[in-house]
Amino acid sequence: MKFSPFHPIHLVLGLVIWAAWFVFLYGGLSVGCAIAPPASEEQAGTWINGAIVAIALLVGGYLLWCAYRCMHASSDPKLQKDDRLKVFISKTAAAVYLVSAFASLALAVPGLVLPPCV
Amino acid sequence: MSERIQQRNHEREQRLAHVWGNLPGWGALAAVNHTTVGLRFIATGLVFFLVGGLLAMLIRTQLALPEQDIIESALYNQLFTMHGTVMMFLFAIPVLEGLAMYLIPKMIGTRDLVFPRLSALGYFCYLFGGLIVLSSLVLEVAPDAGWFMYTPLSSATYSPGPGSDFWLLGITFVEISAISAGVELVVSILRTRANGMSLNRMPIFCWYILAMALMIVFGFPPLILGSVLLELERAAGFVFFATAGGGDPLLWQHLFWLFGHPEVYIIFLPAAGIVSTLIPVFARHPLVGYRWIVLSIITMGFISFGLWVHHMFTVGIPHLAQAFFSVASMLVAIPTGIQIFAWLATLWYGKVVFRLPMLWILGFLVVFVCGGLTGVMLALAPFNWQVHDTHFVVAHMHYVLVGGMLFPLVAGLYYWLPHVSGRMPSDSLGRWGFWLFFGGFNLTFLLMHLTGLLGMPRRIYTYEAGLGWEWLNLVSSIGGFIMAIGVAVVIVDIVLHFRFGQRAEQNPWGADTLEWAIPMPVNTYNFSSLPEISTRHPMWNAPELVESIAAGEHGLADVQALRRDIYGSDATTGKVREVVHLPTNSWLPLMTALALAVLCISLLVKAYLLAVVFTVMALVLSLRWSWENGAHPRAAPTDDNEPGAPPLHSRTCNGPGLWGMVVSLMADGTFFVSLLFGWFYLWTAAPEWTLPDHSPIQLVPMIFSGLLLTAAVGVFWVLVRGLRRRRATHLGPGMWLVAALGAGHWALLAGQLMSAPLAPTERAHDAVLTVILFYLLLHSGLAVIFTLLQAVRVRLGYTAARLPYEPIVIQPFWFYTLGVYWLSLLAFLLLPNAWSVG
Repeated sequence: MKFSPFHPIHLVLGLVIWAAWFVFLYGGLSVGCAIAPPASEEQAGTWINGAIVAIALLVGGYLLWCAYRCMHASSDPKLQKDDRLKVFISKTAAAVYLVSAFASLALAVPGLVLPPCV
Repeated sequence: MSERIQQRNHEREQRLAHVWGNLPGWGALAAVNHTTVGLRFIATGLVFFLVGGLLAMLIRTQLALPEQDIIESALYNQLFTMHGTVMMFLFAIPVLEGLAMYLIPKMIGTRDLVFPRLSALGYFCYLFGGLIVLSSLVLEVAPDAGWFMYTPLSSATYSPGPGSDFWLLGITFVEISAISAGVELVVSILRTRANGMSLNRMPIFCWYILAMALMIVFGFPPLILGSVLLELERAAGFVFFATAGGGDPLLWQHLFWLFGHPEVYIIFLPAAGIVSTLIPVFARHPLVGYRWIVLSIITMGFISFGLWVHHMFTVGIPHLAQAFFSVASMLVAIPTGIQIFAWLATLWYGKVVFRLPMLWILGFLVVFVCGGLTGVMLALAPFNWQVHDTHFVVAHMHYVLVGGMLFPLVAGLYYWLPHVSGRMPSDSLGRWGFWLFFGGFNLTFLLMHLTGLLGMPRRIYTYEAGLGWEWLNLVSSIGGFIMAIGVAVVIVDIVLHFRFGQRAEQNPWGADTLEWAIPMPVNTYNFSSLPEISTRHPMWNAPELVESIAAGEHGLADVQALRRDIYGSDATTGKVREVVHLPTNSWLPLMTALALAVLCISLLVKAYLLAVVFTVMALVLSLRWSWENGAHPRAAPTDDNEPGAPPLHSRTCNGPGLWGMVVSLMADGTFFVSLLFGWFYLWTAAPEWTLPDHSPIQLVPMIFSGLLLTAAVGVFWVLVRGLRRRRATHLGPGMWLVAALGAGHWALLAGQLMSAPLAPTERAHDAVLTVILFYLLLHSGLAVIFTLLQAVRVRLGYTAARLPYEPIVIQPFWFYTLGVYWLSLLAFLLLPNAWSVG
C-alpha cells in the first residue's frame, strides 16, 4: 500500500483487487481445466481447488491488512477537527477493504466442496 | 441605493443570460446547455416509454385469453423484442442520463457540464439511433430475436431479414450517446464541483451518478464489441459466433451479459440516488449512514460486474464456475440491503411528510424489496434451472426494473417538476395516478410469478386452454390496462400542471441540496454567482445562499470576455484550481450526429461507398470541433488570465480535457480487453477453433512497426515533459517528427493487413486478427492526425510553452496506442506462435 491511507484511490482499490481476483479465478479455472483437468473422482481434493483456497487466503489476508492500515490511520490522534475529509476517506476505504476481503474469501468457499471441471 | 444595486444585478444577469442563452428559433438545435439537453433527453425518453408501453399492451391483449390469434407469432416476436429494446435502451438509461445531466451541475453548484458539445452530440445520437430502431417497426422488419439478440437465432441464417441489423446498428449508435454521457458526468462530478465541496460534502445523488457513469464507461463497450462482431458476421460473413470455422455462439452471451447485468445496476443506481435524495427531504432528517451508503454504492458498482454468468446458468458451464457467480449474485444483495436499512432508519428518525413524491418512494420500497427477494431466489442455480425462461423471470425482472427504476423516476419527476416549470403538480390527480399504477402493476406481475411457477414459458405468443394459466393471464392483462390508465393520469397531471398548477414558492419541498437555490423556473446559467460550500446540506444550514447567490456575492459573478466560465476544482477537496471556459452554442454536434446517422443507414442498406464517405465526413466534423478548443481565439478570446483569478484551464497542465481523455480511454480499454477476452474464450472454449500452422502475419515487420511507434511516443513524451516545465524548444519540428514516425508505423501496419493471407470468412482466428489489425490502425491513424493538427497549432501559436494544455491531453492517447500495440503483438501473435511450437 504505497499511497497515503488518506488517498481517495483507496475508495476503490480493494474492489479493484477483488475484481482482478474474480477474473483470475474464472479465467484460471477455464485454463486449468483445459490444460490439466483433474480426474472427476478426486471431487474437491484437486490441485485447482487447493490453489483457489490458497490464493483466496492470500488475497483476503492482504485486503484485511489494508483495512487495518486505513482504520488505524483514521483514528490517528494527530488528525485535526478540520481533517474530516481524511477521516471520511480512510474510514470508508477501510470498510471497502473489509468488504473486498469478505467477498474474495466468499468466492473461494465453493472451492471447498465442488469439483472444478464438472 | 438599493435600487441601483438591483439595477446593476439585473444588468449583470442579463449579460449572463445573453452569454449562456440558446439561439432563437431553429437555432435552438445548436443548444449545448445542460438544462436544455437534459430536458430533451427526458422528454424523448418519455415518448419512447409510451411506445414501449403500447407494445406491452398489445402483448397483454394477445395473452389475455388462450388460443387467441389477434397477433400472429412472427409479429408477436417483433413486439416483445422491441418492447424490451425500447424500454431498456431507449427509455430507462437515456431518461436517467437526462435527469443526471439536468441535475448534476445544479447540485454541485456550477453552470454546465464540462463538455457541453458532447452532451448535445449524445442527445442527437440517441434521438437518431432511437428513430432508426423504431423505424424497423413501421417498415415491418423489426428485430425478432429477443432484446438480447442471442446467436445463432440473430445470425444471418436464422434471421435473414434486416431486423437484427436495425438492432445492432441502431443500438450501437445509441450507445455512443450513453458513453459520451458517462464520460461527461464522471469528469464533471470530479472536476467542477463548487469551491469547498469536498467528497464528504458531495450530495449523495452525485455519488450514485458517479458510480453509474463509471459503470457505463466500463459496461457498454462489451456490447458495442459484440454488436460490431455480429454485424461483421451478418454483413461480411466473418466468423465469430458460428461454430463452423471456430466461432462460438456462447461468446455473444458472454459479451451481451457482461454489459447486460451491470446495466440493471446502471438503471438502479440513479433511481436509488433519487430515493436517497428524497427520503431525507420528506423525513425532515439527514440521511442516516451517509458513509455506509457511499460504501454500498462503490461495492455495488464493482460486484455487479461479477454476476453476468447467472444469466447463463443453463448453458453448460462447470458447477464450480457457476458457484462463483452464484456467490457474487448473493453478495450484491448486501449493499442493496444496507441502503434499504439506511432509508428505513432515516424514515424512522425523521418526521415523515407524505407529499406526492413520497407515495412513489413508498411504492418503490414495497415493489423493489419483493423484486430483490426473488432475485436472491434466482441466484440459486438449482432454482434458476427450474424457472429458467418462464414467466417467473419476467415477473422478477419487472419487479426489479419497474420497482427499482420507474417508481423512483416518477417520484423524482414530481419532485423536480416545480424546478422546471415553477408550478406544483395536482396532489389529487397525482394520488389517483399512483394508486392506479401501483394496483395495476401488482395485479399484473405478482400473479405472473405463479404463472411462471406453473410452467408458462416466456415469449410464447399463445397457449392452450386447460393448463391452469387462463385466469392468471386474464387478471395480468386487466392489471396491465389499469397500470396504463395510471400512466395516462400521471401524464395528464403533468401536462395540466404547466397551465393550471399553483405557483411554486422557492424550495417548495424544503430540500437541502443546492439546485433549489436557483430561480424557478430554471434559467440557462443556473447560478448568478458560484457559491462556496461548507456543509453537506447547504439549503438547510445556509438558506441565505438563495439571496447571496442572486446578489452576485460569490465567484464568477460577471461575464468575462463573453466566455461561458465555470470553476474547475480539485477532485478530492473541491478547492478551486482553474477557470474552465466552455464552448457556446454549436451546430457541430447536430451535423456530426447527422453524418453518423447517414453512416448507420448506409450500412443498413449496404451502401458501403456512401458509408465510407460519411465516415470521413464525421471524422472531419469531429476534427473541426476539436479545432475550436484550448487556446483557439473562439474558445478563449483573451490571451491572459484575469489578475487575481485562477488560471484559465487551457493554460494549465491538468485541465478537464486530460480527465476526459483518460476516462474515454477507460471505455476504449474495456473494448480492447473484451476483444482479448473473446480471443482467449474462442481459443479455449470454441469446439472447432484451430490455430493455423503458421501465422498469417509476419512478425519482423510488425516488430519494426512497433519500434517506430515506440520512437514516436518517446519523442512525444520528451516534448510534453518540456511543456510541463514551460519549455517549448523544437516543439513544432518535434510534432512533425512524431507524426512522421507514427505515419511510418501506420504504413507498415497497413501493409501487413493488405498483404497477409487472412481468411476472416473461413476461420475465427483470422477474423479476430483482422479486427485487431483494424483497431490498431484506427488508433495509430488518429494519433498521427491529432499530432499533425498540433504541429499546425504550434505554428499558429495555439500551443506553446505557456499554452501546454493540448499535447498533454493527447499524450495518454499515444501511450494507450503504444500499450495496446505491444499487448496485441504478445496476445495475438507471439503467444499463438509459442503455443504452436510447444
